[in-house]
Amino acid sequence: MPRHTRRISSTLVALACLLAALVWNAVPGAAPAEAQRKILNIAAKEPDTLDPHSSTLGQSQAISRFMFRGLTRFAIKDGKVTTAEVEPDLAESWTLSPEGTIWTMKLRKGVQFHKGYGELTAEDVKWSFERQINKAPGTRYGVNLDVIKSIEVVNPYTLQIALKSFDPIFLLRMVGYQNGYIVSKKAMEKLGDGFKWNPVGTGPFYFERHSPREKIVLKAFDKFYGGRPQIDEVHWFDVPEDATKLIGLEKGTFDLLYPEAVTADFADQVKKMGAVIDRRGPGGQERFYINMTQPPFDDIRVRKAFMHAIDRKAIKETMYPGGLARVATSCLPDGYFGHIAMEFPPYNPELGKKLLAEAGHPNGFTIKNYFISKSFFYPKVLTLAQEQLRKVGIIVELQVVDHATFHENIRKNLDPFVLYGGTRITDADPWLSLFFDSKEIPDPATGNNGTNFAHYRGIDDLLAAGRVERDVKKRATIYHEAQKRIQKDLICLPISDVPGQWARNPKRVSTPFDPEYGEFSLHYSYNYPELLKVLK
Amino acid sequence: MLQYVARRVLIAIPMLLGAMSIVFFAMRVLPGDPCVAMMGDQATSGALADCTKSLGLNRPLAVQYVDYLWRSVRFDFGNSFRQGYPVSDYIARMFPHTFILVVASAIVAALVGIPIGIVSALKRRNPLVDYPLRILALLGLSMPVFWLGILLLIAFSLHFDLFPLIGGGDLDGVLAMLGSGEVFTQPWDFLAAVADVLHHLTLPALALGFTLAATVSRLSRSAMLEVISQDYIRTARAKGQHERLVVYKHALRNMMVPLLTIIGIFVAIALTGTVLTETVFTRPGLGKMLVDAIGARDYPLAQGAITVFTMTIILVNLVVDMLYAVVDPRITYR
Repeated sequence: MPRHTRRISSTLVALACLLAALVWNAVPGAAPAEAQRKILNIAAKEPDTLDPHSSTLGQSQAISRFMFRGLTRFAIKDGKVTTAEVEPDLAESWTLSPEGTIWTMKLRKGVQFHKGYGELTAEDVKWSFERQINKAPGTRYGVNLDVIKSIEVVNPYTLQIALKSFDPIFLLRMVGYQNGYIVSKKAMEKLGDGFKWNPVGTGPFYFERHSPREKIVLKAFDKFYGGRPQIDEVHWFDVPEDATKLIGLEKGTFDLLYPEAVTADFADQVKKMGAVIDRRGPGGQERFYINMTQPPFDDIRVRKAFMHAIDRKAIKETMYPGGLARVATSCLPDGYFGHIAMEFPPYNPELGKKLLAEAGHPNGFTIKNYFISKSFFYPKVLTLAQEQLRKVGIIVELQVVDHATFHENIRKNLDPFVLYGGTRITDADPWLSLFFDSKEIPDPATGNNGTNFAHYRGIDDLLAAGRVERDVKKRATIYHEAQKRIQKDLICLPISDVPGQWARNPKRVSTPFDPEYGEFSLHYSYNYPELLKVLK
Repeated sequence: MLQYVARRVLIAIPMLLGAMSIVFFAMRVLPGDPCVAMMGDQATSGALADCTKSLGLNRPLAVQYVDYLWRSVRFDFGNSFRQGYPVSDYIARMFPHTFILVVASAIVAALVGIPIGIVSALKRRNPLVDYPLRILALLGLSMPVFWLGILLLIAFSLHFDLFPLIGGGDLDGVLAMLGSGEVFTQPWDFLAAVADVLHHLTLPALALGFTLAATVSRLSRSAMLEVISQDYIRTARAKGQHERLVVYKHALRNMMVPLLTIIGIFVAIALTGTVLTETVFTRPGLGKMLVDAIGARDYPLAQGAITVFTMTIILVNLVVDMLYAVVDPRITYR
């Protein structure tokens, strides 16, 4: 071998050894300073934005709760976070005018925004709501604030919100969730579009940095009005695969997992490694809507046959064995104001066949080109239902499409029955209005992209009555009646109430609330992230 | 030679334009509205109309197309629908991660695949050597990268704790130090950052490289078989040259031309492989980003990523064509 070749080879070998040594040194754990900090490592998917008024994905809404707060919050009672009772948060107190249309909100004094953006004032509250009402680009929840007629700042700590008419759930709308979050006006004006990835709120953690497709780092906010959180930093990792999340939980890389789906296998693995699943209800509900205007489902006997064909318990047990979910008892989920448990046609395929024969379909019928999303629970639940429906003679020819196509097609009324999920503010009015108000019947001809997939018109009068009723008991009665009508008309079949579920390493992180439904959650799972503690 | 390169670059322009146009229209022909994809079950008719307007999707298609081409000429692919980041910045940040993964897996594939292919060809009459090697190649072909990736993670990250579970290492730091000249003023910091990147790169490169090595080994085997049946090899042997010399000096160099041909295809395969590799190893990169962008109907992001992929493949093929002349002096360009 020539001498210069030998020299090059020796240099390369030396360099390789040096790099190997550096790589080897990089293997052991964190640096001393990092080891002293209390870091909460979360494996979830990457949020699409950190602007709380624009985030629609679960992970975006989950991280928002770490950084933002609203005028009200869900109350803690008897060690549990309640489902629909609120208490003051950024607002200190409030009064309602006798005619029920003007709310005077007094703000808590001394609440600071992150990063030196100053004290929270009524101007920030006004700004936060008006940008949504005025449909600022990217905002998604203005529709939830449509009840507001005007907002007037009385003084820096007082504002008056005038409503178009009495709104029984106004205080619920003010909860720190989606449209209810208060953002810094000064920061938004200064940062413009940049606010999406440089958010400024009043929550217990402030945004530090974002490495796209890697992680988001939040830090404890020293001036948080509820006291500095025990956790110093939150590292929110972008981990799309549940398998990788589980390996990370076992290895100790992650303390909390936000899984895509909690299956029986996932729950088993979590249990085996000594971790727990924090279940937070009511969560989402999976249910069928039957388009009552589309033959043959325009015949109530066919709808009943459909319901007799579906074994709800079997679907729930296959999808979510044991405590992973509950068989749903109403098309208004348990935990929502106004819910009552209902009976639905029991699983009885023989009766289903008989009803189909009576309706003129002795040999059943075939639904061609039925579109179903390939994501989340949709394909699995529908495949189970497909098999059950086949037994009564209803053949469903599936076309599995991506999620966006599914959403588009169901709004074009291409599916005669629609499998759907969802979570909303925990009151009957927003939920029933969205899914059963005739104004929400999707119609491609008019461009209406609503979600009343049953094309139902049977409770419009009750919804209108509920919106102006100020007596809580009477309101509840109205919604009970609405659920009875929905049940009687057989246009909706609820399957499972699936809680929000995160896996947690209890040796690393503690929460004051019981893993089993100890805390109410909407799209986020931890209402009070400042109460999470890193143990070691 | 320069004339040839100029001609190839000129030919690349309509190719790129074609690819960009196909992507633009294909994204819009695909069923699924970006706003519906973004808002999911929260989509109401009013909110969808606002969203469509704010994304500029209510403009005529021709206007959107011309706008897209005009912006792309200036390397401005617009902003991501979902995250709002400028797509060019996003790609600039993701591309180096994908690039080093492709290069590292190519090295692994070459180091594993070419020797296996050569040995398998030379020892084809010895079933004790040839069969195990072919079975190994078959294993590599049939093992999905995500499965191998999970196995590697369980073994080397979870049990032996030798490699990190997620991330791409401090590649931004490495690039920043290269750009600022700190590589010379703080060489140890630079080497530490490089080591961190390599530490994160090892398992993904092994997983992707090993699955690609199977293809490389099979192609190397057939290339070698073709070469060793040539007259000049027989002549070399007849002259009494040592077998090792025959292989190294005569066979190996001549099999480089067919091997180079597959590099172009190889890059395309490796780029496809990065999608799953980046997902399993939770690495930042273009592959996973592209699939997510298509799923979310994030038109600007998908268009930008595919444009970069197309440019990469065109560029690699051009370089491969140039290399022919280096490995085979008989080839000249006019």
